[in-house]
Amino acid sequence: MYRYDSLDKEMLTDRSNEFRHQAARRLSGEITEDQFKPLRLMNGLYLQLHAYMLRIAIPFGTLNTKQLRRLAWVAKTYDKGYGHFTTRTNLQLHWIKLRDAPDILDALAEVDLHAIQTSGNCIRNITADPYAGATADEIDDPRVWVEAMRQWSTNHPEYSYLPRKFKIAVTAAEKDRAAIRSYDVGLHLRRTRDGELSFEVMVGGGQGRTPYLAKTIREHLPAGRLLSYLDAVLRVYNRQSRRDNIHKQRIKILVATLGVEEFTRQVEAEWALIEGADIDLPDTELARIRAAFMPCAFDPQPASSPVFEAAKADPEFARFTRRNVHPHKVPGYAIVDISLKVPGETPGDASSEQMDLVADLADAYSQGEVRINYTQNLVLPHVKLADVPAIYAALKPAGLATANMDLITDIIACPGLDYCTLANARAIPVAQSIAKRFADPERAEQIGDLKINISGCINACGHHHLGAIGILGVDKKGEEYYQLSLGGSGGDDAELAKILGPAMSGPAIPDAIETLVETYIVHRKDGERFLDTVRRTGLQPFKEAVYASAD
Amino acid sequence: MPQLIKIEGERASTVDDLFTFVADEDAVPAAGDVIVTLARLSSEGDALLSSGRRVGVRLQPSDAVEDLAYDLGALAVIELAFAKFRDGRPYSSARVLRGRLNYQGELRAVGDVLREQALHMVRCGFNAFEPADGSTAEQWLAAAHRYRHVYQRAADDREPVFVERAQIASGLGHNRPDEVGV
Amino acid sequence: MKMLTANSLTTGEVVFWDHGQWSVRFADGERFEADEAADAALALAETQPKIAVAAYLIDVEDNDGHWVPIAFRERLRALGPSNTPQHGKQADGDADVEAFQASHSSARSTGRVKLIKR
Ligand code: SF4
Repeated sequence: MYRYDSLDKEMLTDRSNEFRHQAARRLSGEITEDQFKPLRLMNGLYLQLHAYMLRIAIPFGTLNTKQLRRLAWVAKTYDKGYGHFTTRTNLQLHWIKLRDAPDILDALAEVDLHAIQTSGNCIRNITADPYAGATADEIDDPRVWVEAMRQWSTNHPEYSYLPRKFKIAVTAAEKDRAAIRSYDVGLHLRRTRDGELSFEVMVGGGQGRTPYLAKTIREHLPAGRLLSYLDAVLRVYNRQSRRDNIHKQRIKILVATLGVEEFTRQVEAEWALIEGADIDLPDTELARIRAAFMPCAFDPQPASSPVFEAAKADPEFARFTRRNVHPHKVPGYAIVDISLKVPGETPGDASSEQMDLVADLADAYSQGEVRINYTQNLVLPHVKLADVPAIYAALKPAGLATANMDLITDIIACPGLDYCTLANARAIPVAQSIAKRFADPERAEQIGDLKINISGCINACGHHHLGAIGILGVDKKGEEYYQLSLGGSGGDDAELAKILGPAMSGPAIPDAIETLVETYIVHRKDGERFLDTVRRTGLQPFKEAVYASAD
Repeated sequence: MPQLIKIEGERASTVDDLFTFVADEDAVPAAGDVIVTLARLSSEGDALLSSGRRVGVRLQPSDAVEDLAYDLGALAVIELAFAKFRDGRPYSSARVLRGRLNYQGELRAVGDVLREQALHMVRCGFNAFEPADGSTAEQWLAAAHRYRHVYQRAADDREPVFVERAQIASGLGHNRPDEVGV
Repeated sequence: MKMLTANSLTTGEVVFWDHGQWSVRFADGERFEADEAADAALALAETQPKIAVAAYLIDVEDNDGHWVPIAFRERLRALGPSNTPQHGKQADGDADVEAFQASHSSARSTGRVKLIKR
């Protein structure tokens, strides 16, 4: 697994020293809050409703166990003993004090963690397929390219004061598990017919007030030219975007305004003038990064495991294997999802004790590696099939063995009005009430794959546009109301959800979801997921059912 | 007389600013070095540039530096104005001026110019600064050198981390090969 | 009626203006009948940027003998997050907190006198 070398480490030290200095200047009154705010934001420090919130980057969603234990320790020492994993595969700590923040950043830097560029109008922490390096369907490890981009984008002299935030996601597998088309730049790595690695470059996706799916501006970018091409995209954006209206400053608006052809023309013209050799990483550096991501040796295992098969006699374990265990590229191994979605609990929250337990399990059974999925769950990426029963037995008493991946109770929810200053309405209690309603695991499994995504406001941190059922909190005369939409997905079948009808109050939501599910079951054809049925029938039957029963 | 911080390599100094900025609505003084807007440069540039004084131009964030290509050799100084420190367009303007138009002269940052942005400005090719926060030359230099390493090539001559790594690996760099690699 | 609120600069904790200084208790907060007095307090608070951040006024109302913020958001600030009753000011569980929670459902109007985004 990739580790920072002395140069990366010195950069992290310099960064936390710089922040310590800036915080001291703010506390002494030397700089104003106005001047300090962008500086703290670029180090992930927000002021939320109840306290400061620190957003810690988890680059490519990969953690070693030392890092996970350090996160647990920071949460216990400086916060209230838990953290919240987000849809951007960051960890958010909700109860941070400004005066502790420099010490926290130092403690994180010791294990190569940081909060650099997790907020602010800069190139944000870059995400990748959570199964990278483990899944059978990838052609390369996308994290090689994420690390290349991390270096290029860190403290970028030209692109640290962009019109708005800028988010990039990469996948190298056919199945898109990173929702790349909802990003400012989505990158899909493939092999060309002659075997070369090449990126499909998609630009201008995004959720929020005006959601768009990213459009392809280049089908085949030779992979080694990635950074110079991104530089061209960023330069066109930095120079051409509006700066007079904060709601119209994302790159998606520029692409929509210019039209994708004209935008592409400008990027290509800029790229032709850019000195690529100055920007693109030399092959030696790419090879160095690639070597660091080489998987450790996998002990050869029989393709099936009698221990594993025998354990399935326990129906609950059998359900766990159906929902949370996925094929690995190496026979005899599996990818194991750890659900942070116990019905009734806060989606994405993990206590320090839970983090420590997962770290112990990863050391014992998963080559010391843990992943964060944007669905706010954890992943043990390299598990021997024969070890799955032991892992399950250890997870269960800690409340970490819920067998509900991609089911109706695997709900994505942002912090919402319980924590976030931008929120219109709470998201967590809505998720809790729905999950409790469908807590019977048998019923949830009969309903099948159904993604419910909840955001507390139009900023869409809870990906409500990409939910088979999306729920958006709105403020209706000071009361919390919720708007439902259907048919969204962030995967290969990416599409934005469509609004179902008028918003409703929070207590009405579980019944409405119940009605949607019943309607689906009436209409579904063999093997159809909720999403498929909605897309086939359209919204009409669902609309009628929900609003008829509401009258 | 107003002061400027100038950076040359590892040195910073405070100097008097000998230029007068002339807004569009004001008349150009009879003599002395002046800095004018892009509008005035396009309408009165030829006369000004041949009047035996030094002439500079101040560009706003939305002005395209490419418009200066024709006059570049004759200009004594170019100022790029930061309307707000959050408006990052002048960084791109500076990169294009230095890297693409090959401008070698004085490049000034004026407007909402703060010490916290010194590193980015220096790296993008600015070499003269009119700080809005009262920073001294020493403070400015310290802020610009706060990082021992940089990850990208820019308009300064600092080598990025990937070059440092290659040098260390080949034994040319600092002597700590055991810490390098994965 | 109005009250003045902010977050402490060093800790981020929610604070309420109490006759020239900040208190962490909602119950201690000064209530302003007149807009002028509220605005004057806000102006004074803004001259103390090293103590509290982003001060703003909120609307409060008398709810069966207990003062509560009208806006739901402000009730959450004065109590703590609803998903973790053990965290935030609500953890103390005094009479004010209980009154607050009892009137939770009757929030009306945003009360967003000046919404601060930070
Ligand atoms: S979607 Fe809105 S409420 Fe939820 S975390 Fe994002 S900004 Fe906050």
